[in-house]
Amino acid sequence: MVLLKITAVFFMGMAVGVMYRIPRQLLLAASMAGVSAWLVFYFAALNHANIIFGSFLASLTVGFIAELLARRLRKPATVFTIPGFIPLVPGREAYTTMLHMVKGDYIEGLALGMQTLLIAGAIAFGIFLSATIYRLVVNYRMGGGLGHAGKN
Amino acid sequence: MSPSSLEEIIDLVVLAGEIMLKNGAETSRVEQTMDHMARACGARYAESFVIPTGVFVTVTDGDGRSLTTMRRVRDRTINLDRIAKINELSRRLVDSRIDYQDAFAILKRIAKERTGFSLVPSMIASGTVGAGFAVLQNGSAAEVLIAFMAAAIVRYIAHVVSRLHGVRFTYEFLGSITAGLIGVAACYIWPQLSRDIIIVGGILPLVPGVAITNAISDTIAGDLLSGISRGLEAALTSVAVAMGVVIVLALQL
Repeated sequence: MVLLKITAVFFMGMAVGVMYRIPRQLLLAASMAGVSAWLVFYFAALNHANIIFGSFLASLTVGFIAELLARRLRKPATVFTIPGFIPLVPGREAYTTMLHMVKGDYIEGLALGMQTLLIAGAIAFGIFLSATIYRLVVNYRMGGGLGHAGKN
Repeated sequence: MSPSSLEEIIDLVVLAGEIMLKNGAETSRVEQTMDHMARACGARYAESFVIPTGVFVTVTDGDGRSLTTMRRVRDRTINLDRIAKINELSRRLVDSRIDYQDAFAILKRIAKERTGFSLVPSMIASGTVGAGFAVLQNGSAAEVLIAFMAAAIVRYIAHVVSRLHGVRFTYEFLGSITAGLIGVAACYIWPQLSRDIIIVGGILPLVPGVAITNAISDTIAGDLLSGISRGLEAALTSVAVAMGVVIVLALQL
């Protein structure tokens, strides 16, 4: 079952790459970024981590891998970020929220809607944070220490 | 390399900026690429200002003469391949591995060429995204197959609507209505199938991935105006998708 899901994530990453027309030779790298992020998400769930925290860790992984690949392959980081985070999108939660709302179960809808928003926020913040940390580290290395960190 | 005239420089630079913005590059990347290219062609200073709907650039030469141009960008698509190519072109221009004439010719070719994939492969790709998400939701084989078809049909609708030059968000709205209808119909014919898994799989290709990542990276880079407008674009797209599903569900219940 897990192998099946990993395969699904792999092909999803490739398919998202095709949909957004990323360069063909990068499709494999992009979907590997997606697979590793999903594995982080999966192991977080196995260890009974909160789903919001799991999504955050996974999107942090996506962000770091995307920045590393972008630097190594000299391509925009977006190319790797998008295929990576699509499998983490809380589609099921968003849908169920709407279902509750349509049925008139507003309390349940609000609770689940809040969870959906927090997951989406955690994913966005994970990518945000990894890009920021990466930039800080690069500036630190290039500046040769904290004293010159501003100069890049 | 002999410096080109201001008019030539600005023609090249503004075209590069326009192509990048049209195909979904983040704001700071467009600005930096335009500045680098202008300097590589011999401009003394280059200053650019980019928002999601337009490009402004000013180029100054050694004698202090300057020239400003703006280009309005209306229809935007997503083609990350073109962005990567222009990135590469600008890098080659900066390293003087290519001269102005060749760069302009390559740029025109990038603008015209049909890169990426035609309708059927992108329908299959869209279907794969939907089917993959159905697998992640523990869907059965039949549900995965129907989610594949729903997502592929959503992509076909995008193709039709983009030819009609529809209003913004039409495609997302129509697509999510279609995915909803397919889910409801499939569940009506085979009651043992899960309507929810099919619909979620069908609407997943409509997630505004590029708008979300660009909103984040623009905000990090300090391009607050672009960050906000792209965030709004992502939010409105999600609302359009949600409304399509809500309408179908409300009609069914």
